[in-house]
Amino acid sequence: MDKMNETAKMILAEAKKYGADYAQCTVSESEKKEFNVDGGQFSLMRTLFNRNIIITVLKEQRKGTVQINRFDEDAVKAAVADAIAASDSGMADPAWEFAQGPVEESYEEGMPKCDTDRLFMRTKELLETIREKHPKILIEQMITEHNAARTVFMSTKDVCYRTRSGSYSFELMYSAHEGEKSSSFYGSNVTLKTLDKPVIECALIERELTAVEQQLDPMQLEGKFVGPAILAPMALAEIVIETMMDNFVGDMGLIDGTSIWKDKLGQEVADPAFSLSFEPFSEDVVIGEHYTSEGYLTKNYDLIRNGKLMSFALSQYGANKTGGKRAGNQSGNMMIMSGKETLEQMIKEIEKGILVMRFSGGQPAPSGEFSGVAKNSFLIENGKIAGALSETMISGCVPEMLKQIRGISSDVMKDGNVRLPYVAFEGITISGK
Amino acid sequence: MLQDLLKEQKAFFKPGVHTELRGQNNRNRRVILVSGDVMANVRSDVSGISARVYRNGVWGFSSMAEYTKDAATTVLKAATENAEFMDRHAGNGKPAFPPLVGGELFKMEAFNDPAQKAYVDFAREIDAYVSAHCPNLSSRKVIATEDSMEKLLKVSDGRDAHILSPRSYIYVFLSAETPAGAPVELFKSFGGSGTFDVNFTDPSVLYAGIDRLYEQLMQKREGVYADAGEKTVILGGMMTGMLSHEAVGHTVEADLVLGGSVAAHNLNKKVASDLVTLTDFAHEAFGETCPLPVFVDDEGTEAKDVTLIKDGILTGYMNSRESALHFGMEPCGNARAWMFSDEPLIRMRNTSVHPGNDKLGDMIASIDDGYYLIESGNGQADTTGEFMFGVTMGYEIKGGKLGRALLDTTISGVAFEMLKTVDMVSDEIVWCSSGFCGKKQPMPVGMGGPALRCKVKIGGR
Repeated sequence: MDKMNETAKMILAEAKKYGADYAQCTVSESEKKEFNVDGGQFSLMRTLFNRNIIITVLKEQRKGTVQINRFDEDAVKAAVADAIAASDSGMADPAWEFAQGPVEESYEEGMPKCDTDRLFMRTKELLETIREKHPKILIEQMITEHNAARTVFMSTKDVCYRTRSGSYSFELMYSAHEGEKSSSFYGSNVTLKTLDKPVIECALIERELTAVEQQLDPMQLEGKFVGPAILAPMALAEIVIETMMDNFVGDMGLIDGTSIWKDKLGQEVADPAFSLSFEPFSEDVVIGEHYTSEGYLTKNYDLIRNGKLMSFALSQYGANKTGGKRAGNQSGNMMIMSGKETLEQMIKEIEKGILVMRFSGGQPAPSGEFSGVAKNSFLIENGKIAGALSETMISGCVPEMLKQIRGISSDVMKDGNVRLPYVAFEGITISGK
Repeated sequence: MLQDLLKEQKAFFKPGVHTELRGQNNRNRRVILVSGDVMANVRSDVSGISARVYRNGVWGFSSMAEYTKDAATTVLKAATENAEFMDRHAGNGKPAFPPLVGGELFKMEAFNDPAQKAYVDFAREIDAYVSAHCPNLSSRKVIATEDSMEKLLKVSDGRDAHILSPRSYIYVFLSAETPAGAPVELFKSFGGSGTFDVNFTDPSVLYAGIDRLYEQLMQKREGVYADAGEKTVILGGMMTGMLSHEAVGHTVEADLVLGGSVAAHNLNKKVASDLVTLTDFAHEAFGETCPLPVFVDDEGTEAKDVTLIKDGILTGYMNSRESALHFGMEPCGNARAWMFSDEPLIRMRNTSVHPGNDKLGDMIASIDDGYYLIESGNGQADTTGEFMFGVTMGYEIKGGKLGRALLDTTISGVAFEMLKTVDMVSDEIVWCSSGFCGKKQPMPVGMGGPALRCKVKIGGR
């Protein structure tokens, strides 16, 4: 860490020499150990030693940013000169603002040291368990890894953060096969602090493998109807949360004025049962975010509470551009408040609808309208799963859906980064052949 | 430019063990103007070295963010140890690869590095033009960018190489509102292979394209929803490119075939109409240089074209050396890595359907009730061949004539079924190279094709 501190100090001193009004840098070193499984067989082991420096300077409110991955003095000094040149070529924008110190904090999180033998053992165990319990599943690719990182963030406004972290992650991509029949592919992920239990028991991995195995004989839906859709956690994130963050509450949509929620702060935008917060300090998060890229300390915040829009997801820059308020963090660890009913009970109450595990759709329009293919999905009829579906399209409008929530499950997916339930929405157009 | 520090390291390669050593630099320059404000002004240079070693059917890999002889020694040792670990615990005794032709290959294009001011100034000129000539916009965004790769490769057998691959683009995004107040957006990219100073010397060259984009946006804001269901459509060349890449290309990447893609059961079978021939081109297509030419891959295999579909029959897969051995096919240079810290994966290069004999005007005139779909925002496909593309620009076809513009929609289908419905193919090719393909790593790819008349499912409201 000493060498990284010295490098950070040198960067700030060099930037000041060039007349920067403000400078900040992030200096990091990381090590990754990774195992790959391809086509169901072990294929590769990787060890990566990485470094990274990101330098941002502000001169007369003109901003320049440079990223390099060399630590030698000549390269670092050249990078500072490059950042200054980039800033000189830009245009002044009074909205750039960064955290003011004094603040100095250190954090250690997760499991910084990798137990390589145990990581291999858990990977092998997962592969063998899937072969045994889910024989129809073929692992297209599985990547299991440990990531360790040390980071120093320092700015000329007397702000300094030092972090040391490490975590394990498991990513599986798979589909079910029987003869020439195959299901759509599906991905399961989890981030873990420790490897103290079999990975198949984590997040929703076991449930998702079971569901994909049931998708070998999908039926073709005839015609089209408007009805309820239960979105499983990943489909919920893809359709609803991404649309909201990209278009309605983030910097870009608010700065360029295209957000349809730009005047909705404090107003009802969703059903009162719906609450969405971003909580890097939740016990469900393995590696939380402690400070923003502008140097501000983070805290948990509510985006929507009981259906009411409580905050935008603005950076300080975005806040200054729009006259708004900076959000409590950079909105990575989303948490949706769970409901009282189980998924099974939610299904029981639906006469005809669809359960969507994954969504393959176009980029959502700024209006929140979307359409795409409901992947790994099931038809619900008379309160029961009637069978898997193929080639079924769904379309809807996110802001309208949020006001037509018919249920939120008590079952939640906790993958080490987010906590999401199943949510049932009315008014979805579901079309087959 | 990377100096050749790796030559002597070949002496440390273990005899009879396939080994790769790669020094690499990725540079990125990016300026983003949003309604005239500089939102991003970024330069990035990331370099380092990696080694990969193959042993009895398993691989070891290691990389360091340092381009030195010492780093080369370190990663070679670590990659060898990783290969030994894998062999000990999970080796499967697969044989060594058949040897490749050796030699050296150098492709050194002009590799200038313009100052950041060049990107900012050019973007500002484009932004000023949009501001002055495109009224009634709700927002505008201009991005000037270059992302370039330099690779220095040493292999135990095959081609050693030193390759420079620059590419640069201007993206223009325009947004407006429909009469009901709903936002609509369109974008267009300009540029291709080459550094920024080579591709962008005169902003006025882009003005006609921006005018056309604005005209389409104004039509789109008055647009209508597509009528959902299965329709006869004309896919424009950009949409055909997306189809070639997403819906067919990925399913015939040999690693995905081994992972259970639909192509596993369809080799040498009819998967498309007789009018469809599809090739993954290496560096030259239809007598011209490809948008993003590839001459050698990161396993040292000299790049050749791969015919994927010939007159409607599935004829081949794209391979690495390992998968080529498995399938008894010839490796053609598809194993490519994005950063120094990435291992080569099977990737497409420039994937396109071959042109046919029809005129686009005749194709439109042949449809009584359908759609002409021109631009795609993004696309995704399943290993089953089931695909979905976002359609950001298109028109109704009524009575053989273009009608109203469409609001955003999507199309979907199953590639090997939908391709059998192709009954007209235009005689002109459109290429696109500004995007990234996403797999485990991003990768610049070219995709293209002629207009196709076919049947697909279109999403409405």
